[in-house]
Amino acid sequence: MSPDHYTPRHRLIVDEEACGNAVECLKCVHVCRDHGQNVIGFVNKETPDLEEFVPRKLEEIDHRVMGCFMINCDGCAKCVDVCPKGALSLERAEVPVPRAVINKEPAIIMCSVLKDGTRIVLED
Amino acid sequence: MCRYCVEYGNGAKWYLNPANYNPDLYRKDGHSTAFTMLSGPDKNSFEVGGMATVEESLSDFNFAGGFNVIMSTMSQHQGQVVPLEDALKIIELVPGDRFILEHCACRRFFGHNDVYTCLFFDPVVDITLKTRPWETDSRVISKKEALEFEKEMDRKGLVHSVWDSGLDSDGKPPIVICHCLQTDCMPTRMRLYYGITDGQRKGEYVAKVDPELCAQGCKQFPICMPRCPFGAMRRSPLDNLTSVMITECYGCGLCRAVCPTGAIRLMDRTAYPALVDVW
Repeated sequence: MSPDHYTPRHRLIVDEEACGNAVECLKCVHVCRDHGQNVIGFVNKETPDLEEFVPRKLEEIDHRVMGCFMINCDGCAKCVDVCPKGALSLERAEVPVPRAVINKEPAIIMCSVLKDGTRIVLED
Repeated sequence: MCRYCVEYGNGAKWYLNPANYNPDLYRKDGHSTAFTMLSGPDKNSFEVGGMATVEESLSDFNFAGGFNVIMSTMSQHQGQVVPLEDALKIIELVPGDRFILEHCACRRFFGHNDVYTCLFFDPVVDITLKTRPWETDSRVISKKEALEFEKEMDRKGLVHSVWDSGLDSDGKPPIVICHCLQTDCMPTRMRLYYGITDGQRKGEYVAKVDPELCAQGCKQFPICMPRCPFGAMRRSPLDNLTSVMITECYGCGLCRAVCPTGAIRLMDRTAYPALVDVW
């Protein structure tokens, strides 16, 4: 995908080591839900292999948090503040200025009378 | 009629084609992958983890086309919105008397607690009980209870949508009826935010309001409007009438269920030539 075509959005960066097993905490998931944006979810780090270990509770499976549907993130950073382990950071998107790019040729204004009154006659 | 019905409907809607409910079909290779993904231990990795990949790699929301191709060829799991009467017909068609109510993965993993709204069909029951021992709250119910459950979901105002387990050349067997909302359902949000339409298709119907009956109804405070999860209902304050934006409507029939004068009915989507490509 060409870098010209890029929809800017904030990014949630998760330090998984600092976070540990996310399912024990989930403060960031809940704060985002209560904020109304609902862009932080949690997912298991690996699909549980039942031959190795049979988890009996959800808490026994290792989970991580992730930013998802970040188009809806308004950058309030409540998740960063609420995290007790300081595992989250928010990389704010740079919004290009001017924000809108008009992909059109410059308009050609055709005027047949100059300021001093001379007429331009187009010849073909 | 979208391509699902053309290819798998045998002249009818794909989810009402009895051939798709053949028990042998559920056991075939092309579909068994979906069973481990949706009801086995892979469920979480697929349903929620897959979405993180989309988020990272979809750099531009104006180019969702590529993801439509991925969704329709690789995901082995597409759905379509159905109204209540079709949901009840589907449950009647499903072989076996056992259904399992599982938690909604999208709601759980986005912090909306455990809501038991996903009604999986018989072939899934044993797989789930065996391969996901940590799910102790899943409930096995009978066909009669399942029919009641569908009606209850309709009263609550949740959209019914039927999902298949793999779109292979031999068929498209339905595996689950989910009850989604735009706030937390992954595929619905993929549609609404990213324009990826092949995750969840719109229904085969479009709502239509009869203005005469609507005028006799609730007037100032139309109760159909908050029922629409997709924002397809519009109200004119001048004549106190509601109308449906056909391009936004998913045909779920939730608005129809609460109309006090019965002014809303579901039309076949094909009644509008303009909707030929809106699925």
